[in-house]
Amino acid sequence: MEFPVFVIPLFVLFAIWYLTFSATRLDRLHQRVETSWANLDAILQRRASLALELTHFPETDPAANLLLTEAAHHARNADISVRSEAESALTGALLLLRDESWLVEKHPDLFEELDQLTERLKVGISLHLEGVSAARARRSKLIYRVFRLAGKAPLPVKYAFEDDSLVEVQR
Amino acid sequence: MKIGLISPYAWDVPGGVQAHIRDLAYHYLDQGHQISVLAPASDESSIVEDFVVSAGRPVAIPYNGAVARVLFGPVAASRVRQWVAGGDFDVLHLHEPAIPSLSLLACSIAEGPLVGTFHAAAPRQKVTFAIAPFLEPVIEKLRARIAVSEIARETLRIHLDTDAVVIPNGISKEFFEKAEANPTWRRDLTIGFIGRFSEPRKGLNVLLEAFPRIALALPEVRLLIAGPGEGVEAMESVYPALRSRITFLGRIDDQAKASLLKSISVYVAPNTGGESFGIILTEAMASGVPIVASDIPAFSQLLEDGKYGLLFENENSSDLADKLIRLLKDNDLAQRYSQSGLDHAARFDWNQVGDEIMNVYLHARGEDERVTLLSEARPWSRLFTRGEEE
Repeated sequence: MEFPVFVIPLFVLFAIWYLTFSATRLDRLHQRVETSWANLDAILQRRASLALELTHFPETDPAANLLLTEAAHHARNADISVRSEAESALTGALLLLRDESWLVEKHPDLFEELDQLTERLKVGISLHLEGVSAARARRSKLIYRVFRLAGKAPLPVKYAFEDDSLVEVQR
Repeated sequence: MKIGLISPYAWDVPGGVQAHIRDLAYHYLDQGHQISVLAPASDESSIVEDFVVSAGRPVAIPYNGAVARVLFGPVAASRVRQWVAGGDFDVLHLHEPAIPSLSLLACSIAEGPLVGTFHAAAPRQKVTFAIAPFLEPVIEKLRARIAVSEIARETLRIHLDTDAVVIPNGISKEFFEKAEANPTWRRDLTIGFIGRFSEPRKGLNVLLEAFPRIALALPEVRLLIAGPGEGVEAMESVYPALRSRITFLGRIDDQAKASLLKSISVYVAPNTGGESFGIILTEAMASGVPIVASDIPAFSQLLEDGKYGLLFENENSSDLADKLIRLLKDNDLAQRYSQSGLDHAARFDWNQVGDEIMNVYLHARGEDERVTLLSEARPWSRLFTRGEEE
């Protein structure tokens, strides 16, 4: 039996389709990570500026003030590699203030917003981490590496946010 | 915000998912959001809500121990495409996108801020594993996944290897808390049961088996059963002498359900499995009625291992009888469960649940992003458009 030649172009067509399809999938995952990071970043920035607002109150004692100011500035300007560390430090600083019940009573709005932000952060972090692991898992597959389907997109980074410490801010 | 919601099941057939979507829609409408719901409907004229768009007549398929009315196919796909294109949504919220339904269609057709809620809890199923490779690229498009319980989340993890945020189903706490008891139902020692009792998984058999023992210990006890179906058949398994103690109320509306919950002394949920959440238990809690429920995973989780209701061993009718007798005899215990249930019900109020879902929407959506149609919805057209771009 003769080899059916028409199979070859069909196969090539299928291969092209499969590669574009796979590339689109990965592209979409990258987009998801970017979106979740942008949203997460916005909340973290808002939290840092809330923390700075707290330092402007005359009631906060100077030591806490200094700690908070530094933590907030650090978190705001942190490089991506040390970002999660800086955010955790800010969480710790905020936690100290959260225990001062008289301060909380004096500025209920501010602390309420802080609690809401924490709630949103928890969801944001888990969604972001989920997206990152999905994208990374896909990129590590053979076909993506052989055909370099990720192109020039940077590998999504996993941020080691300490979820538990964030939860505590709420109490 | 402009939100599009998709129901996989027929809108004119009562069901948990449909009720969830309707309540969520009303909740967001009250908050000033714009809502459109796309759902199959057997009879379009029966739709009373003006925000619901019908996608056509569904077909009935057996699924997860019940009959699901879903819609699929090329005609449905074009309806979904039309609706998505015309909607200009900020967020598209798909319910149960992992079964062949409008939600799955929408998930494959649309692109952008897509959120999916997974309601079902199912044991490992070969069928799901078989279609998982085809589902994965579609489900992957969801920016965020919501599971209604830990059990639903586990199901998702096993079958589709993806994680989800757990947000419970919502209820209107006030509606159940403020309902009035019905004087004809109101009497001491009344046990209540609500559900499609003709389905074996709802566990009415277990309750009817337990009933003689309860009646022996408490001769005054009565049983009220509400839900669609014929009571005559179920009644045949009951001793003739006890039949006068059991009343079938037939299908009841939400108002009647709330007043039934207010009228009874204990609510019993003998379900034998297949449940992923148990909305009726949250409603019973909001009504302040103590609960006896089977210890299936969904109920154990909802009642936090017996903190908010008495659990009995699943399908064990003598254990059920013991627990019911205990609760009906011990007023203090009943009072305690009633109070703790009332407190816990706030967790499931729409004010809380709606905010949590909105938070997920916000996380799923990039700045100024909209839901769009996948311009290359078909593989071959994708090939050509790609070629032109490059």
